[in-house]
Amino acid sequence: MAAPILGLVETWRRRGALWLPGGNMAAPMPGIMAAPTRASWRLLGALCLQRPAIVSAALSPMEEVVARLMQQLETERSRLSDHEVRHQAEEEQLRHPKDRGDDLASSSVVLARDLEEVWEDRFQKAELSPRLTDADKNNDRTSLNRKLDSNLTLLVKQKVGDQELWLLPQMEWQSGETLRNTAERALVSFLGNRIQAKFLGNAPCGLYKYKYPRAISTEDSMGAKVFFFKALLQSSHLSKEESKADCVWVTKSEMEDYLKPEYLKQISRFVVDL
Amino acid sequence: MRLPLGQVLCLGKAAFPKQVFTVSRSAAFRENPICAVGGTLLSCSRHYQSQPTHGIGRFRHLAPKIVKKRKERVQMKEINPGTDYEYGDLNIEIIGYDMCLVEGYARFVHKLCQNLSVRVIGSYALPTKTTEVMVVQEVGNKMYMDAVLTTHQRVVQVRSLSATFAPILLEIMQSNQPEGVRLSVKEYTESDFKIRLKTRTELEDLMSQLSN
Repeated sequence: MAAPILGLVETWRRRGALWLPGGNMAAPMPGIMAAPTRASWRLLGALCLQRPAIVSAALSPMEEVVARLMQQLETERSRLSDHEVRHQAEEEQLRHPKDRGDDLASSSVVLARDLEEVWEDRFQKAELSPRLTDADKNNDRTSLNRKLDSNLTLLVKQKVGDQELWLLPQMEWQSGETLRNTAERALVSFLGNRIQAKFLGNAPCGLYKYKYPRAISTEDSMGAKVFFFKALLQSSHLSKEESKADCVWVTKSEMEDYLKPEYLKQISRFVVDL
Repeated sequence: MRLPLGQVLCLGKAAFPKQVFTVSRSAAFRENPICAVGGTLLSCSRHYQSQPTHGIGRFRHLAPKIVKKRKERVQMKEINPGTDYEYGDLNIEIIGYDMCLVEGYARFVHKLCQNLSVRVIGSYALPTKTTEVMVVQEVGNKMYMDAVLTTHQRVVQVRSLSATFAPILLEIMQSNQPEGVRLSVKEYTESDFKIRLKTRTELEDLMSQLSN
């Protein structure tokens, strides 16, 4: 990319004003596009759909040690709760029963120790779901059930030009709609109508711009600009029949296997992996 | 204008200095500061208040008088997203059962907004709601109380959040959410303000009796 164009794009992006293009890009920002040619770029809206982490990240060894220490400190310094006070009082009464006629051991009042037994029982019977699911072991990238402690982003295989590439789902912008609507259309077309995704806002989170090779570029279309919108997946269940193309859910580190380096560089600026 | 002892304002009249000199020769000069030129005190036996620097720090008489009003806090103005692409007043609500987590997260959100130069107008807590969980006994139809849950709610109020920055802030807050804590971002309305106030039942009873 030529340096002046990149500079122009950077200033334009910082302004953050225009993602509702009304046809000619040059008109709303008179100061910036000083190019003599009316170079127009094809605009595409893309969707960065993320499934947020379901389970909190595992603690590092240092964090575990500190957590255990803090827990111990807090338990030692804390006061007794209502239940514990009641438990102590009842134990005291059971050990030294006052000869008043009401004997705790024989009355039908539910004692604190009985409650504790019931709770202990229930805890033993409860099964905790594992952190590493089956999909993790099989490394099944199309399922949403893997890598529960990190964000998963959707990647689809699309035909761009004459190549089949893996990218974030994108669609061409049509005049009369906002770019966010374009992204929503992309969502519906790739994942079906019943998907529940929450868009984080009306502003795009990133931009990828590329020029067409000389063979295809004409006066009207020098290249394409792709605007990315972020959305968070609400439900973590997806039926397989809904997806109409090859789609894959990957973490940030696994994206390198699928994406081209230039594209990946721009995308990793807004894909966050904690 | 105060002058040190012995000096006299030159007023251009010969009679005046003579008067002052005679008075200054009196032994009771120190006890009688009426002759101190420009002195604001009359008939006072203290001499330290005739110091030249007396009242040097006084400013309250110069500052504008503020009358304390006993009104309740008025509704804050709302800015709708306009040409500036900014949100008006937003309420970031943090709700959960565990008070330590809820308060810790509220503190985190408050500090985050301050560090990212998002203007925080206020931060308050809503009253705790207590829920009793009743479970039907396995044998029989009677219900017994299983647990008592307390729902805590903290609110951080934010103003003029720019629309380009909002998604980033939302994402940071959402990815740092602890388990068991619900985050909700809403626009601030009249009803949110009214929820914090207590109703005066006696007043309402009397008013209804009046109208009947």
